[in-house]
Amino acid sequence: MKTYHLKTPLSQEDVEKLEIGDVVYLTGEAFTCRSRLHRWVLDENHPLPDAGKQRDLLIHVGPIVLPEPDGKWRLISFMPTSSIRFEKWGARAVDEWGLRMIVGKTTMGEETMAMMREKKCVHVSPQCVSPNSWIQHIEIEKVDLFRELGTIEATWSLKIDELGPFVVDIDCRGNNLYKNHEAEVDANREKALADLGIDADFEYTKLY
Amino acid sequence: MIKREIFEEAIFQAIAKGSTTIAPDVCAAFEEAIGRESRPAAREGLQKTYDSIKLSAQLKNPACPDTGWPIFYFKVGNECQLEGGMMALEEATRAAVRRATGSGFLRATMKHPLTGYDPGDNVGNNVPNFTYQFVPGKDLEVTYVAKGGGSECFGGTRHRVVAFADGIKGIEKVVIDSFVEATRSGGICPPNVLGIGIGGTANIAANLAKEAACLRTVGSRNPEPQFRKIEEDLYTALNSLGVGIMGIGGDTSVLGVNVEYAYTHIAGICVAISSNCMVARRGSFRVTAEGAMEEMDSPNWFEGR
Repeated sequence: MKTYHLKTPLSQEDVEKLEIGDVVYLTGEAFTCRSRLHRWVLDENHPLPDAGKQRDLLIHVGPIVLPEPDGKWRLISFMPTSSIRFEKWGARAVDEWGLRMIVGKTTMGEETMAMMREKKCVHVSPQCVSPNSWIQHIEIEKVDLFRELGTIEATWSLKIDELGPFVVDIDCRGNNLYKNHEAEVDANREKALADLGIDADFEYTKLY
Repeated sequence: MIKREIFEEAIFQAIAKGSTTIAPDVCAAFEEAIGRESRPAAREGLQKTYDSIKLSAQLKNPACPDTGWPIFYFKVGNECQLEGGMMALEEATRAAVRRATGSGFLRATMKHPLTGYDPGDNVGNNVPNFTYQFVPGKDLEVTYVAKGGGSECFGGTRHRVVAFADGIKGIEKVVIDSFVEATRSGGICPPNVLGIGIGGTANIAANLAKEAACLRTVGSRNPEPQFRKIEEDLYTALNSLGVGIMGIGGDTSVLGVNVEYAYTHIAGICVAISSNCMVARRGSFRVTAEGAMEEMDSPNWFEGR
């Protein structure tokens, strides 16, 4: 388990060396996305803002942001949101948006993992809920589609400085940290049920 | 008669306090979890979360940006009189939610379920949501709960009907199996405060589970021995799963287990579970008939059950 401090744009080598369980801190440029931007671009065929630029770090997040009197934005709170709910759009986002890394809570499903393996992209997730630490490492550059999608579904362009720690949960070889952990929990579940006096062959009465 | 501006301010303060300050019972559970955690990564995650929680109270910043569904519980004194009548309570709450969203205590999270349309102020059809209890006296008590999406959307809140023949074992198996599924890849932000509702129709059980998760203090116990034993047995069993903070493996999977029950038709026993985020957020204020506003550490929702 290693710790890496990575800068955007991320190279193929940057992400290929990452293994599940490694910790990353990120510096450079990132953009944000939730359900409505996925739908806007991938289902409704609008262009992704700044599609021509090389932007390879996506964060699944809906921040709290307030307007300042001088026309700037103040970041109030920031915590990555669950990635798994974007699974229907995940593979196309990795492919069409040229992503190298996605930051989000939880993980992605099989289809996105296959595309990540093919295109060399990884998923990293927070292992704590520490929005008041993270906001000190983020500056807001600009927002696109604010009027169309609303504050948290709009896409925010961020300048980040040593944002982390995030743990690699999907590497670009098709490994998933959480899948490996499932086996441990399942073994513990058998013991927990036995301790409660519930037999391994217990079956619910079939009511429906 | 309590003036509208007073009770609206108390509702606003309950939101502001609830979003930014974690109650002493939840903080105590964090300190206990950090103290017993044997895995370094999990201990670090718990400590960073706890540090952020303490910082949010100082900065008056939300403890988590996902302020979720704004839900409100009112204990209304039988002789309580409000300016504008009881219907003014919901209007005042909507106004307080709008103000709290505009000042950054709440994220504009509530949207139309089909189109995703964002009103920008968390006010829409059936939101915010209200539950009432009528009690002796002249006071009004309000509790605001920020019901985060993580613990609500990813399997942490659900129900199943088991047969009376399946007994306590059937009930406990529902809880263990549901919790294991819901904590895969940390979806419900474990370690959770787990509420369980037993009996009643599905909606009665679900409401009891939600109130057990969000309104009972962590560490409180059901006064009836049979239910207290279920709480204690499940607390031990769930913490032996090794789920850990955000599902990465660790010694604490739940901060607390609270069980409530209703008498029921025994053709089928509804078991509902409701998870609250580890960053469990609530704020309670009392307004007296004289118009004095007092903060409360506990909603006292099940007092006199």
